[in-house]
Amino acid sequence: MSAILALAEKIEQTPIGAAIAESRYAFPIIEGVHLIGLAVSVGLIFITDLRLIGLLFRQVPVQDILRQLRPFVLAGFMAVFVSGGLLFWAEAATVLASPAFPFKMVFIAFAGCNALYFELVIARRADMQGPGDVLPRAAKLAGSASLVLWSLVIIFGRLIPYLPRWS
Amino acid sequence: MSSADSILTQLQTSALGHAISKSHHLVGAGLQIVHVVAFMLLLASLVLISLRLLGLAFRHQPLQHVARDATRLIWLGLALTIISGSLMFIASPKLYFHNSAFALKMLLLLAAVFVQLTLVRKVAHSTMPHAVFTRASVSIALLLWFGVAFAGRIIGFI
Repeated sequence: MSAILALAEKIEQTPIGAAIAESRYAFPIIEGVHLIGLAVSVGLIFITDLRLIGLLFRQVPVQDILRQLRPFVLAGFMAVFVSGGLLFWAEAATVLASPAFPFKMVFIAFAGCNALYFELVIARRADMQGPGDVLPRAAKLAGSASLVLWSLVIIFGRLIPYLPRWS
Repeated sequence: MSSADSILTQLQTSALGHAISKSHHLVGAGLQIVHVVAFMLLLASLVLISLRLLGLAFRHQPLQHVARDATRLIWLGLALTIISGSLMFIASPKLYFHNSAFALKMLLLLAAVFVQLTLVRKVAHSTMPHAVFTRASVSIALLLWFGVAFAGRIIGFI
């Protein structure tokens, strides 16, 4: 753990890390981009999940929702990852000291695996190609898992400053 | 003391304001989480309708198939953000009232709601909306909503 923290402090002290942390405008602006990217990417994923569960947009075929929203979800994620990377660069040690941060990362990994399995396996099944009035159980499960996992990512992300230390 | 300040003091010392501000700090964090998640639902639904109006997605779907449920999510998101936001405001009204990013956020919010309910609604209700008018109204509304998010995120840094 101390080795990781030492590395994190080194990352913070690199010229770019220090420049972001010390700039009056850079840090808040990057935080703003992170939030908007999140609203577009994870927000549209929430909408997709609600469709998979069968709660909303039942008149729109599932494949339409998946295909048409994909470029915007990915664009949002680009903004989230770049801004998130820059934020980490500027305060790696502070963020790592919070137990909320590793939990957030673990849930991102789970949510990513769930999305990959859905895209590569479930979405390609024959019973997923129709209008989607009745969706297979696997699709509902993947949608519910996505909803829960991404919510946990948001919750732990927001908790980072509120749970500053492990003890 | 100005009348605004006396109202703010009354809010802060009200039973509800007192209850929230004196509660565990994770109650405040919980309110923020509700605020963020509800805002994401609101913004994503607005993006969804905007993409349809701009012709960037769901071009072959009737507008109603997309708009009806998206509108429900928008109202749900708006209601939850306003409730959680008001509770946060009541807990420390002076902190927010004198914060320039908060003032900007409220102005942008009013402008966004106004443009959404006038220009964008007009686009959505007309059968053959003018292309330039559509693009302009939808883009202005979206930019204003993004501005609300931006200003909101910056409140804590001022």
